[in-house]
Amino acid sequence: MPSPTAGAEKPELREIGEFINGFGRLGYVADIGLATAVYLLVRLPKPLLIEGHAGVGKTEVAKVLASYLGTELIRFQCYEGLDSQSALYEWNYQKQLLAIKAREHSDKPAEELERHIFGNDFLLKRPLLRSILCESASPVLLIDEIDRADEAFEAFLLEILSEFQVTIPELGTIQAKQIPHVVLTSNSTRELSDALKRRCLYHWIDYPSLQKEIEIVRARLPEFDHDLGSKVVRFVQLIRQMNLSKPPGVAETLDLSRASMLLRMKQFDSATAEQMLGCVLKSASDLARIRQEGIENLMSRIAQ
Amino acid sequence: MLSNLAAPTPGQSISDDFESSIVQFCRFAYRNGLDSSVRSTIDSVRAARIVEGESLRNALRTVLCHSKKEWDLFDPLFESFWSGRPLDKPERSVVRLFGSTGKTGEQRAYFFSGDHKSKESQTIVRKRKTVAGATSIERLSKIDFSQLAGEDLAQLEQLSERLLRWMSFRLSRRVQVVHSRSRIDLRRTIRAAAARGTELIELRYKGRKTQASRLVILLDVSDSMNPYSHFLFRFAYALSKHFDQLACFVFSTRLVDVTSALKTTTLPEALKALSAIETFWSGGTKIGSALREFNRGYGRRIRSTDTTVLILSDGWDTDAPDTLVTELSILKQRAKRLIWLNPLLGLDQYEPVTRGMSAALPFIDVFAPAHNLQSLLDLERRL
Repeated sequence: MPSPTAGAEKPELREIGEFINGFGRLGYVADIGLATAVYLLVRLPKPLLIEGHAGVGKTEVAKVLASYLGTELIRFQCYEGLDSQSALYEWNYQKQLLAIKAREHSDKPAEELERHIFGNDFLLKRPLLRSILCESASPVLLIDEIDRADEAFEAFLLEILSEFQVTIPELGTIQAKQIPHVVLTSNSTRELSDALKRRCLYHWIDYPSLQKEIEIVRARLPEFDHDLGSKVVRFVQLIRQMNLSKPPGVAETLDLSRASMLLRMKQFDSATAEQMLGCVLKSASDLARIRQEGIENLMSRIAQ
Repeated sequence: MLSNLAAPTPGQSISDDFESSIVQFCRFAYRNGLDSSVRSTIDSVRAARIVEGESLRNALRTVLCHSKKEWDLFDPLFESFWSGRPLDKPERSVVRLFGSTGKTGEQRAYFFSGDHKSKESQTIVRKRKTVAGATSIERLSKIDFSQLAGEDLAQLEQLSERLLRWMSFRLSRRVQVVHSRSRIDLRRTIRAAAARGTELIELRYKGRKTQASRLVILLDVSDSMNPYSHFLFRFAYALSKHFDQLACFVFSTRLVDVTSALKTTTLPEALKALSAIETFWSGGTKIGSALREFNRGYGRRIRSTDTTVLILSDGWDTDAPDTLVTELSILKQRAKRLIWLNPLLGLDQYEPVTRGMSAALPFIDVFAPAHNLQSLLDLERRL
């Protein structure tokens, strides 16, 4: 594990190839495009927005980057109705109440009390503030599924994304000590605002090719039988092309592979595939569709 | 940022020529459909300095693109610029569509930005300025859009703008929360108490934030809808002012996302933005295919708990009804409610017996007319 220093100064980060190798060692198969994007994220430094279908490994990029750089991963999950208090900071009310009570009979002026209870001791730091306050090394800040938050929250993020600073009314503006490596992911369930997109680098992760997906299964599950693995991948790739309502991602391929390992499958045929179909298909209409197509039929198409 | 750009990077000597060609490439990319900004040009140069050889393409793509659409545009642009070959412009079916029917150019002008108001009718309007009495309003709001003559059209446009604005205002008022005293807002309570003294006498409350529901509008702009789509787009605009999360699509044989056009501050701006989007007003209708395109490409935007889907179409479909049935059933499963507004429903003798329409009926929650202003205003209660 590399020593925790600011990313840009580390000599091995001067090469894009290093990222591919480093990610590979951690079980993430990155192509040159993604490696370049991550390289620029670290070197420029600029936030990186990753879009792609569900289950293609968007979130994983941030996790792997953090462990590659040997820094802290600060994960922040977006949801609808998210507000700045759960993203940035909150005051510890119970403690504030106690402090007010404890000083009830002191003759200090109210202004001083106010300064005291809105001080650092009473501040609960939420993920965004934590990423800004990190002392030792640039953390990786993962803002996951940004498309789930509303537009107001996007606007709120602009300051932190472009200036790497946050403003708290009671404390003033806080500048990042170590510029965090920011990774945003989106499932593109809605169009993000132009202002946000302009502040980010962009990378689109597509479904992997057959060869790449086989590599991924091998990298993630080295103990899994290779022939069986490539059969599983072929099967999922075939299903993926069938215009289902929820096409399986790489995550589903890995689930299916793990399931076959757990169940100690010796071979991957129509009977075993039928048994584990739930790992890959997540809706009743899709299941019906595949059954209608005939699993034997699909299996024979893989064998070709 | 700029000074940053001027400073040479240690250990790397890159000629000015190279950097200026990066800048030229950025300008080339902006001219050909990528979103431009000085910031991304600067970042491109900075990125180009720290990458080598083959990675340049990937680096510039990551810096200059902001969406999947731009991502797909990028590679041909890059090839064309560095190889010096002219860019193969993708043949846009849209353009051909316009070419094939002689009148469409005119119609475009008709639809967009209110150009159709001739000078004459404008002067007439000015003469009669706002003397439209109650009866006149009533008459106008009940007149079928397709029966409008020039003078009425201009008046109705003004009236619709006013009434639709009212509708969207009432809609937003309706969802405002009553002050409930259920949950104490400690944050604001302490803030208030600390300034004054010690005792928490005055409590502050917080209510639940009401969730704005989502609306997806699918507007038919084929030939047969021609008399109506003009007003229906205004209707969509009025609705967009109320719904936080609104997506709007127009379709005839294909589907185009026009949501961005509605995000402008005034109606004329919206109409102008709409004319900038390459749409294909008029032409045949393929409702089934359009819905399939929607389900495939945008289906995930629908959240079954609170999304209402509003289809504005007359139901004339040249697709096989099977396609429509399949796609509607998918849509129905995903959406909370499916509303179909059909302008033809305003006609006395109309029965929904066209193949498409009768096949669609079982999936529709609300089936209502949309032939005049009154019918659109009535919809307020159903949203």
